[in-house]
Amino acid sequence: MSASLQGLAAQVPAAPKPLRPRLTPGKAAAVLLGLAFLIYLPFVLQDRAILGLRLSNMQLLNVGLSQLNLTLIAAIGAVSLNYLTGSAGLVSIGHAAFFAVGAMAAAAAGKHLGLPFLATLVAAVIAGAIAGVLAGLPSLRVRGLYFVLSTLALHFIVVYAFSEYQYAFYEVAGITMAEAKIGSFDLDSNIRWYFFLLPIVVVTCLALRNSLRYRQGRALLAMRDNELAAAASGVDVRYLRLKAFAFSSALAALAGALQAYYLTTVSAEIYTLNFAIQFIAMIIIGGMGSVAGGVAGALVWLLLPSILTGFAAQLNGSTDVFSRLLAANRPQVVNLIFGALVVLLLIYAPGGLAGGARRVAVWVRRVLQRRAS
Amino acid sequence: MLPQFLFSGLALGSIYGLVALGFAVIYKATHVFNFAQGMLMVCGAYLAVTATTQLALPFYLAAPFILAGAALIGALVYVLLVKPLTGRPLLPVIMTTIALSIILRSLIEILYGVSPRSLATPLPTGSFLIGGVRFSELHVTAAAVSWVCMALFAGFFRFSRAGLLMRATADSFEAAVLSGVNVNRINAGAWAVGTMLAAVAGVFLGQLQLASVELENIGLLALPAVVIGGLQSIPGAVLGGVLVGLIEQLASGYVSPKARDIFIYGLLLLVLLIRPWGLFGQRELGRV
Repeated sequence: MSASLQGLAAQVPAAPKPLRPRLTPGKAAAVLLGLAFLIYLPFVLQDRAILGLRLSNMQLLNVGLSQLNLTLIAAIGAVSLNYLTGSAGLVSIGHAAFFAVGAMAAAAAGKHLGLPFLATLVAAVIAGAIAGVLAGLPSLRVRGLYFVLSTLALHFIVVYAFSEYQYAFYEVAGITMAEAKIGSFDLDSNIRWYFFLLPIVVVTCLALRNSLRYRQGRALLAMRDNELAAAASGVDVRYLRLKAFAFSSALAALAGALQAYYLTTVSAEIYTLNFAIQFIAMIIIGGMGSVAGGVAGALVWLLLPSILTGFAAQLNGSTDVFSRLLAANRPQVVNLIFGALVVLLLIYAPGGLAGGARRVAVWVRRVLQRRAS
Repeated sequence: MLPQFLFSGLALGSIYGLVALGFAVIYKATHVFNFAQGMLMVCGAYLAVTATTQLALPFYLAAPFILAGAALIGALVYVLLVKPLTGRPLLPVIMTTIALSIILRSLIEILYGVSPRSLATPLPTGSFLIGGVRFSELHVTAAAVSWVCMALFAGFFRFSRAGLLMRATADSFEAAVLSGVNVNRINAGAWAVGTMLAAVAGVFLGQLQLASVELENIGLLALPAVVIGGLQSIPGAVLGGVLVGLIEQLASGYVSPKARDIFIYGLLLLVLLIRPWGLFGQRELGRV
């Protein structure tokens, strides 16, 4: 029993460290290095060269800047779902619906109210928050599985509303979004988009991480672990649940609006159930309840397919079974790998990548301590 | 038009009821809410493609082939995926079944190609008119076979030893273990039965339309069916399936085919809010 408890402790992130952790020189250097990497990365991907040195496509893992931008957008969706599911313990398969709400609100605010780009993003956030409260209302009455099903019902209802709106006001093919312009600054290139999206993602992640360290975040974790105990300690679980839902869906709606602008057209068809499921897969791969895990999951989910495509192109010509399979059925093989990855992680490493990293860190620290003593 | 919609709604609803029944058997036995039920149904359609087209088996061999294949798939899923996750929280288990449906879908697309396959079984395909209503023979056969299957399995649960053990295990896992029931074998059996029921439905749907992975969306209607009927109630699952079939046909007929989802899932939401234990289920009592 104690062994399994210890195993569990390694998988589930402990309560976050107290606010204001010490800033050591090592940590500061790591943060600066990370920032420098993130700022330099788009230029490497754009020029396909590092410091003037040309890189082959495979050395860049067949990743382009547009995939990176889509990953950033997906990361917002993944961390917001992770906040809801991993931290607040509310399982939702309605995330595609909130993306749709965001896209629809942004399109409507631009078309019917004539709002500029940034204002439509705000409209998307507000619409997402309202939709989140509405979607969270069943949580006042039903729990667990029944709540999951209510988000499933919500998904179909929102997607139906989206398609009706689309057919009423736009062409059947889809909604063409207005140009993304901030004043006279036009977000017309991938690199501009990157530097627009990156701060949003960084701020979102930092805000989520910090909010988990404050009173509300701790109340959220308490509610996830034991609702009765949390309520007994004075947490208003019903209000908190709605708040978590509103917060998470507002972020998802923001991501949905950004995605719509980035892709320039959206239609109801893209918001399938699989669209919602991919975010659940991301947080499982990355690690439940961990902000970094959400980002890591989005990275794996969006970049692995193109990395595999790159391999397939390179292997083209070789005749072993796997490369032939990959060349002939690339999307299927990608899905197969993702499906198997999710199942294996769930059975053997429920903490995902973040949990694995945490375990490795614990192991390294133990080895170092043993050396020192 | 109404009698026509009622007829096709009842016929399709019987097929949904079959999928939902398989779903309910699995849920009762292992408390796994199986999002892969739609894909297991698709497996049935493709097993039929293999049996009738690729192996060119005669019908009396094809039917047992499909059933045995489905039972094997179900038992394998239990042993490989469900058993290792026993006792884990809701999300990992749900997500495993979702991942299973992703895996099955890609395997089917790799093995059979992405384009839909037509199914050629010796089932009757004609139609006849009674009082202005067109009865398709395939629909009638599907409904009849569905009800026969349901009756057979009801008998199986009621009268056979394995059925009794399944009910006992579903009722109380610990008590069954204590009485010396091999619960793993019983649960694997429940998954086999649930998959077989879905596979039979898959054969009919594959015949009514085409065998393709997109049939999954139809199979997924078993989810609202089961919950509307009542998760803990086996007859409720069947009636929920019939109800969903009727709503689907009436909504597509009188409103628009796209409005189908909103009526079914709107009803699901209402049921969840007002009677979460389902229309025909028993209220679950919570104890602190």
